[in-house]
Amino acid sequence: MNIFKRLPELQFLILITIGCYVFLELFVKSNVLNGDLGFSGVDIVFISFILSFLVAILSVIAGVGGGVIFTPIMLAFTSVDTLIIRSTGLVVAMFSGLVASGPFMRKGLADIKLVFLGALPILLGGFLGSYAAVKLSEHFGETGDSIVRLGLGLLLAAIALVFVLGGSSNEYPQDKTKSKLATKLKLRHMYWEETLQKPVKYNVQNVKIAVFLLFAVGVTGGFFGLGGGWAVVPVLNLVMSVPLKVSAATSGVLLAMGNSAAIWPYINIGALIGVVAAPWMLGQIIGGIVGAHILSSIKAAFVRKLLIVMLFLTSFKLLSRGLEGLFNISIPFI
Amino acid sequence: MPTQKKPPIPISGVIYGEFIYWCTCISAMIVVFGTIKSFVEGSSSDIPVEQLLDAVFAGQSADAVWASLPVGSTPNAGTYLSLLNTGEAITVLGICFGVLSVGPAIFLSAAFMWRSKNKFFAITALFSGVFAVIAPFVFFLI
Repeated sequence: MNIFKRLPELQFLILITIGCYVFLELFVKSNVLNGDLGFSGVDIVFISFILSFLVAILSVIAGVGGGVIFTPIMLAFTSVDTLIIRSTGLVVAMFSGLVASGPFMRKGLADIKLVFLGALPILLGGFLGSYAAVKLSEHFGETGDSIVRLGLGLLLAAIALVFVLGGSSNEYPQDKTKSKLATKLKLRHMYWEETLQKPVKYNVQNVKIAVFLLFAVGVTGGFFGLGGGWAVVPVLNLVMSVPLKVSAATSGVLLAMGNSAAIWPYINIGALIGVVAAPWMLGQIIGGIVGAHILSSIKAAFVRKLLIVMLFLTSFKLLSRGLEGLFNISIPFI
Repeated sequence: MPTQKKPPIPISGVIYGEFIYWCTCISAMIVVFGTIKSFVEGSSSDIPVEQLLDAVFAGQSADAVWASLPVGSTPNAGTYLSLLNTGEAITVLGICFGVLSVGPAIFLSAAFMWRSKNKFFAITALFSGVFAVIAPFVFFLI
């Protein structure tokens, strides 16, 4: 694998992380935890790391942030407290994006101007969303949460449908008209497409609407601990007509920035448990570097298909959780 | 061989990405050290990691998890700093280091944006950076 040879820091990180877990497995006595899992503490940490590594590669390629995969899975298959899951979900969503910022910017895939255009609305929204989540969990039961989950699930399914119906036209949007505001702001209009070996031109549209939508994405991302990448890609690609790969890369950078504010309310109430979040964070960092290098060399069509699958899966999960919470029922296998 | 010229890559973006990339790598190393220390110190720690994991996977709330440990109460930024001799606090410190790298990275990038005459984005970046830096303190004061 060329990527490992080119990045000595990646080799070093993998070495110390794997070394750490091997050392713990061999030399530290770890008891089996209470409950049905049958794993020791060290086993849990190592399994979390492997899962996180795989989740990070997938999520960076799709530009959605690992929180979209992590949070629903943990909510569905473990009995861990929701606030602890959501705070870890933000770490998961954030760190693959943080570390991928380097390769994305170096390769010119992420658009720094779009990042700063969306940064403030996402930061502000993320902070308000997580603050609301903490306050709501103090004052209301599961009902309010279920209604929002249901709404969010429907929204995600609708976005996924738009991607399906839009076909491959979303990969390299061909909007010829030039937005006055985008021209005034001198927004970028070209990037180098590695798979085509040529620059791809684009015209950014609907700047004002997108800024408002990014604020809303920040609020929901902070509230659910999902990050927000699930919706940043559609906003950039479908609303602003930014090519899909640039959208995925810019989304990764943006959501990492947004979540950096959203995480603090959780830390302040002790909901961020270091030993739980650590292996997920390490997996996201190593998987994030690998994913970011893969993204530049794969076809945009693959990114679109992956994104559609992830949007549908997440929406199914959200819908089922919403229905379960509202009607006090249990939906099997979802 | 590419037949067309690659478009230039903005330096402000590269600076932002590189700063965060290396800070994140450093934070990963702190987290690895914290994880090893957590397990090695075992039950002698103020935050015994096995007991912590047990409580978390038993589905206890954050408050109940912390109440069940020798530390006794839910930690915040201040109490974490006073517990820096524990692996758990070092792990959280490592995560926070990575999170906090966003603020300075934005400021650095904003400076390069300003120099390249992208004043609007330099100002929005500056506001974002200020927000990223004050967000933790704002919340701890509420």
